[in-house]
Amino acid sequence: MSIYIDQNTRVLIQGITGKEGSYWTKHMQDMGTNIIAGVTPGKEGQTVEGIPVYHSVKRAAGSHEIDASMLFVPPKFTKDAVFEALDAGIKKIVTVADGIPVHDAVQIRRAALSQKALVVGGNTSGVISPGKAMMGFFPYWIERVYTPGRIGVMTRSGSLTNEVTSMVVEAGFGVSTLIGVGGDPVPGVRFAEMLPFYQDDPETDAVVIIGELGGTMEEEVAAAIESGSFTKPLVAFLGGRTAPEGKRMGHAGAIVSGGTGSVKDKITALEKAGARVAERPRIVGSLLREILKKH
Amino acid sequence: MKLFEYQAKEVFREKGIPVPQSRLAQTVDEAVSAGKEVGLPCVLKSQLLQGGRGKAGLIKIARTEEEIADISAELFGRPEGVRILLVEEAVNIDKELYLSITIDPVKARGMIIACAEGGVEIETLAKEKPEAIVRERFDLTRGLEPFRARSVAYDMGLSGDTAKQLVKILMSLHQVFSRYDAELAEINPLFITGDGAVVAGDAKLSIDDNSAFRQKEYRITRELFSSDAEYEAAVDGIPYLQFDGDIGLMCAGAGLTTTVYDLINYEGGSIANYLEFGGPNYRRAVRAMELCLKNPSKVILVVTFGTIARADVMAEGIVEAIEKLQPDRPIVTCIRGTNEDRAVKILEGAGLKPIFDTEEAVREAVAIAKRGEA
Repeated sequence: MSIYIDQNTRVLIQGITGKEGSYWTKHMQDMGTNIIAGVTPGKEGQTVEGIPVYHSVKRAAGSHEIDASMLFVPPKFTKDAVFEALDAGIKKIVTVADGIPVHDAVQIRRAALSQKALVVGGNTSGVISPGKAMMGFFPYWIERVYTPGRIGVMTRSGSLTNEVTSMVVEAGFGVSTLIGVGGDPVPGVRFAEMLPFYQDDPETDAVVIIGELGGTMEEEVAAAIESGSFTKPLVAFLGGRTAPEGKRMGHAGAIVSGGTGSVKDKITALEKAGARVAERPRIVGSLLREILKKH
Repeated sequence: MKLFEYQAKEVFREKGIPVPQSRLAQTVDEAVSAGKEVGLPCVLKSQLLQGGRGKAGLIKIARTEEEIADISAELFGRPEGVRILLVEEAVNIDKELYLSITIDPVKARGMIIACAEGGVEIETLAKEKPEAIVRERFDLTRGLEPFRARSVAYDMGLSGDTAKQLVKILMSLHQVFSRYDAELAEINPLFITGDGAVVAGDAKLSIDDNSAFRQKEYRITRELFSSDAEYEAAVDGIPYLQFDGDIGLMCAGAGLTTTVYDLINYEGGSIANYLEFGGPNYRRAVRAMELCLKNPSKVILVVTFGTIARADVMAEGIVEAIEKLQPDRPIVTCIRGTNEDRAVKILEGAGLKPIFDTEEAVREAVAIAKRGEA
């Protein structure tokens, strides 16, 4: 088992005929993802890597059972594409678009919350259960990063995920499911909302979160641990401990403003709840070894 | 993108929010004639984006023409680089309120924050008098409903004509928030004058950068940045921050760059600039290095671990940049990710010594910077 996706999840690709869409469709298939249909307005009747293309999500859903939709859609059209998938009853949607307007992101998340759907992204690499399936673009062929295993990973970042996860693997572990919630200020799903799935997953022994300055997602994780709803060991690595206040550190969501978002506050909250916080990426591996030996 | 007060006030005025009479001045002479037009006494407000301008002495009252000349000369000479003064009529203030609209990312709604005690920063208010702050959330798809705006006014403890004026201002502020894809639209302080009029004393408007494609009126200008390199990088869409240390960062991936920034600090090094050329910019190593070289750093540190931002493409870019720009300082590279084996060959072929471990690369860069000091 894994969470969010495995090899049985029936995946639709919105924007399948585009350059990125068709390129990553092939990679997702090669990794074992069960892609069953694609959508590009105006391109019905074509195929991409043997996958039939439809004009709309509704038309694709009329011919196929769909569990999840993967969007390769530019940021300015993402809101419309997410609404289209939600209207067709799809409950798992991943959008990798970098640059979604923040007012659109708010409306996307609101719609997802009210329909009890999980929209992952934007500004993310997506979701991967190594060895099983992925929705997004991960260098799954780099074995020192994407080795299957029993550690759940959640992240706000891309390259930093490769860096930290390589340390998890170097320490002798592997990944059950990795979810990139993305680097935007209003991500579709938040860390704490995915914790119950890791809690219930018999193939996840511990969770690593890769966070950074800005927002309150790490504090929400601390609250979930403190309330007793998440009880598995959790290790956090947070970027931006030494970042100056008021500067946006690369990601739109990575800024300390209005008195919230400092890494110091996040560390205090997580440690108080009983999570372990690694000062450097390499220490994530040694903390996991220390914790999991005890269990 | 943050607008200057005078720009935000233009927008507010357009949408029907009362603002004091004002003129802009770029010289002492202009300030004096602006003061005559708006009437004395007047307020001279330095147009800078930093908060706390009042405390920093960047906002001052002038009672005579001579005072306008003296004070404006002083403000134009300030080290912060004041280029524009907003010369504003002095309002007879009876009371100060706080009003803003922002986003609640957890509940995924717009959020009004209001308080019958304004003038101080809202973070300070939140700490000292949390019970005095009114928060009201609204659905972005529905927009702000009049009943909700009324509810805010009454929860603030306002009544009668003042409540009516606040509702009107709040509805207008929501129009600004929505029309300009704002991250924040704020009036602090919002004055109640001696005559009972409600007037915006200050104006903050921060437009979401991701909405730039549909918010074309405001383009970034040099005045918004503290250095040429920051401005040029912003025009090119390359995230860049200016610092005054020794090590120029030229990394890919925001989270990784931020982590390298931390690691340098842990090792006792200092950062000259933060530059992130991942994502859409990974083929622009030459431009990225050009920006880094504008800074007097002692070493440039390249750290990447990309997927789409392929290691081989970035390595080629670095080699090309070195050939073209002939940097006068050492380059430390730690390039990993897709096609990393080829990247190593490319770097070695150009006489560089690729490092494979981030911490080792950081230590190397810090050591070089320290040798440069000796």
